[in-house]
Amino acid sequence: MSKLGQVVEAVENYNEFVLKEVKRARADEAFGQQMVDRWNDVKAKTPIGTAPTGLKLPRLALPEIDEAGEITRYLLGEGLPGEFPFTNGAYREMYLEPLRELEAGSSGKVGKNGKHGPSKNGKNGAKAAPSKAVEVEEPTRLFSGLGLAEDTNARFHFLTGHQRSARLSTAFDGPTLYGIDSDAEGVFGKIGEGGLAIDTYEDMVRLYDGFDMGSPAFSASMTISGPAPIIMAMYIAAAKKRFGAKVVPNLRGTIQADIFKEVQAQNETIFPTEASLRFLCDMIEWTTREMPRWYPVSISGYHIGEAGATPVQQAAYTVSNGFAYAEMLAARGIPVDQFGPRLSFFLDCGLDVEYIALARVSRRIWAIGMRDVFGAGPKAQMFKLHTQTSGRSLVAAEFKNNLTRTAAELMLAYMNGTNSCHSNSADEPFTTPSEEWIRLAAHGQAILLDESGIFKHTMNMLSGSPGMKAVERAVETAMLEEFRQIEEFGGVLPAIEHRYQRSQIQNAAHRYEQQIYDGTRPIIALTKYNDLKDEMPEVKMVRTPRAKKQLQVDRLAKFKKRNAEKAKRALDKLADVVESGKNCFPTLIETVEVCSLGQITGRLQEIVGHFRPMV
Amino acid sequence: MAAPIRVLTAVPICDGHDSAINTINLEFIRHGIEVVYLGYHRYATDMVRAAIQEDVKALGISSYNGGHVEFFSEVASLLKKQGADYIKVFGGGGGTITGNDEVIMRRNGIDKIFFAGTSLTDMVDYVHKQYGGPHKPFRGRKPSADMQLARKLTEIEDRYAGRKGKRSTLLRKASAGRLSKEKRRSKKGGTRVFGFTGPGGAGKTTLIDELVLRLRKREPKARIAILSHDPSVVGAGALLGDRATMINSQNECVFMRSMATRGQAGGLSPATEDCLKLLAQSGFDYVIIETVGTGQEAMPFQSGLVDKTVLVMNPDYGSRLQLQKIVMLDLADIVVVNKSDQERARTATAEIGRRLDQNKRSQVLVSTVANRHRDAGVDELCDLLTEQNV
Repeated sequence: MSKLGQVVEAVENYNEFVLKEVKRARADEAFGQQMVDRWNDVKAKTPIGTAPTGLKLPRLALPEIDEAGEITRYLLGEGLPGEFPFTNGAYREMYLEPLRELEAGSSGKVGKNGKHGPSKNGKNGAKAAPSKAVEVEEPTRLFSGLGLAEDTNARFHFLTGHQRSARLSTAFDGPTLYGIDSDAEGVFGKIGEGGLAIDTYEDMVRLYDGFDMGSPAFSASMTISGPAPIIMAMYIAAAKKRFGAKVVPNLRGTIQADIFKEVQAQNETIFPTEASLRFLCDMIEWTTREMPRWYPVSISGYHIGEAGATPVQQAAYTVSNGFAYAEMLAARGIPVDQFGPRLSFFLDCGLDVEYIALARVSRRIWAIGMRDVFGAGPKAQMFKLHTQTSGRSLVAAEFKNNLTRTAAELMLAYMNGTNSCHSNSADEPFTTPSEEWIRLAAHGQAILLDESGIFKHTMNMLSGSPGMKAVERAVETAMLEEFRQIEEFGGVLPAIEHRYQRSQIQNAAHRYEQQIYDGTRPIIALTKYNDLKDEMPEVKMVRTPRAKKQLQVDRLAKFKKRNAEKAKRALDKLADVVESGKNCFPTLIETVEVCSLGQITGRLQEIVGHFRPMV
Repeated sequence: MAAPIRVLTAVPICDGHDSAINTINLEFIRHGIEVVYLGYHRYATDMVRAAIQEDVKALGISSYNGGHVEFFSEVASLLKKQGADYIKVFGGGGGTITGNDEVIMRRNGIDKIFFAGTSLTDMVDYVHKQYGGPHKPFRGRKPSADMQLARKLTEIEDRYAGRKGKRSTLLRKASAGRLSKEKRRSKKGGTRVFGFTGPGGAGKTTLIDELVLRLRKREPKARIAILSHDPSVVGAGALLGDRATMINSQNECVFMRSMATRGQAGGLSPATEDCLKLLAQSGFDYVIIETVGTGQEAMPFQSGLVDKTVLVMNPDYGSRLQLQKIVMLDLADIVVVNKSDQERARTATAEIGRRLDQNKRSQVLVSTVANRHRDAGVDELCDLLTEQNV
């Protein structure tokens, strides 16, 4: 049995454990009383805040139950926000505005080790500890990348003018995603389209110009997987060049680096899977030790969803991929409490009903699996989530409706307690967002979190409704069934080799498309209320002018010429380290100082081969 | 019955968005179209070469991350330069391709852009209506060798279309013109023909592609032909997807043709033998033919045109008893146990070895891991196949 099979058992065992404890609370008076006391204690210590209208509201909303069995079901089955199994949230307080007047001694308590159920490592029980100070960073993180590094840099500065903190998210162009240099044959038209062009670490210096890369208030996310270790090395090299070597342990951010989902859905991978995973593990091993504030992998369902998977498939493949990474890293001898807290997740949020509870269920399964199968401590049990509203749900016909679609999706994402969020721009069916529409996308989140009172006064505001619970149960059952299917192949990697996830996703995509046209899925203004047909809207297209593309090629030529001699030696050294089987990431950080992305990719492909695409 | 329409579909370089094209491929197949799928992240030059070799009526490109004006135009201009603009180019990219873009692209030789919101039915109808006619004769200057060969293969394939039941007549005719091995050998240099067969999922396609990589390295001037087969969907078209995974075979020195079985059992198409004969006479150094995944009773290479037959096996064929039933184990010159890094491979190799010993022929057993870069087993297979004394 792979670890995934054990996870299925662990979740089933945990569910049984909860049921048993519910019965016990009803039968065993002392235990029942203990649970009721805890419940009353939590309620009593919940601070009361005041809405601008003067309305008094508890900072934490709890169901109105007073019976020991139901209380136990709640506390163990879903847990308070920030408590195992984290159904209601990885953290407490996430979107709440700071209390205007802090009542003494009334700060909330959090289960320190987040444990209630049977555990394979360590003790049971929750010790109370004061919660952390309220985070000042908002979840908003908008994905941007266009043209050359300086263009994206300008966009970053524009965006940070519309949010509280410098939380950047970087999109790369096609050649960069495939580890190809801008001067390669046949790619000229692709330079700076759909993201920015990065060929050398000097581009990376330009990209984050004007931002304090080592500041605790700055974080950067980079959405790239195939050549992720090379790009990560460039980021580190750029930071070192600007701020010196001492900056490295302070670097905060995320790099996607998710090879599994590339092979399953997104297709932006360049080395054979085994080699990609080796480079990835080299990077994770190094960064989790040297850069403790960095997330070196973002296990992503977004692209699985966008490729057409159902929400359940999306979450099931994503979470199972997460367990596969955990299994791999543990097998390499990295302690689970070193890598576990540095794994992060990324889900799509569309308009299907499953999205009401998708992240809630994912958090729960992850926490149980990490604790009971991998023996992880509380920090490594938390499923930390970035959400993006669904790009494929946006349509070109009467595209301004996309604002409404995105707003509804944002609501679902925040109901699910996402830790970080990107809202799509309405013009995305056509183009990399123009300033007009990305500004509205950023404002959408601010309206929901800052302007509206929905999320800022009370944690758990919308969780636990009967409808949400019904979806939760159905989604969990379906996800575990997907795990069993994958386990039938012997786990995630063998299932990938059999094209299992790919073919499931493709079938779902085809069904989705058919449902649009057979009326099962009405799309407003496209298949329903579509009387304005055939009018192409006037949308400002964001494209990279020829001269800019040429500038990128010229810059690269200069870099290559300047470093020609050094590059040869650096590549030979890198090749030696790779062939030796040692961790090649530290060498990579040196290599990028004199070599371009394409030079490095090319050399590595000579050694490990090319990725062979799957149909 | 007219021959099915063949189209080639692909996604441009640096673009991995294959969701739309996969859905469109499926829909085309369901409506009787044969789709040669080249895959995603593909160069314009690869698309044009493939379209010519496959002699498709049209080339469909699905582009989602920009640069489409340049890319589509490059494809059209390459086709034109080679006198192959009888192959029409169509495509789409959701909302990313604007009306203004379309004007430029059409001016540059693109036949049709499907805008966002076009239904699958509309696309299928368009292909049937616009690309359903007979093949256009070459115009202008002398067509290239690839173009001529590709067209002859089309003619052979079309001749067989809709002639179910009359196959034997055609076959007899074909056999009459069959060249003896000796006669072919006497041609300059000689063409070596290798036949690959085996159950689905054994890794035949990957193995052949790795072989091509080695042949290209060892004999850079060698010309290689590949005749690959995929099954037709009952009553419908076919997805011919081998090109998408055969990354090393998308190369100037390789002529590749993908064929649908068009209702014939046994791993090959009714037209295969004639097509193979033509390829064997067309001056290639190597001709490689790959069957679809076959069953136990299949014996696809009975024509005498194949010099060496290779049976590719998966270690998990079931019990030892199953081996007795596999006919090709008696006939193959070389038996490959691929995926030999799997747990069961050692047992499998031993069992197959004993099975081959019963035959008392000089059959060779090779273990490979085709999807491992620089695999020594594949090197060995390459040595065996290229040995001079057959």
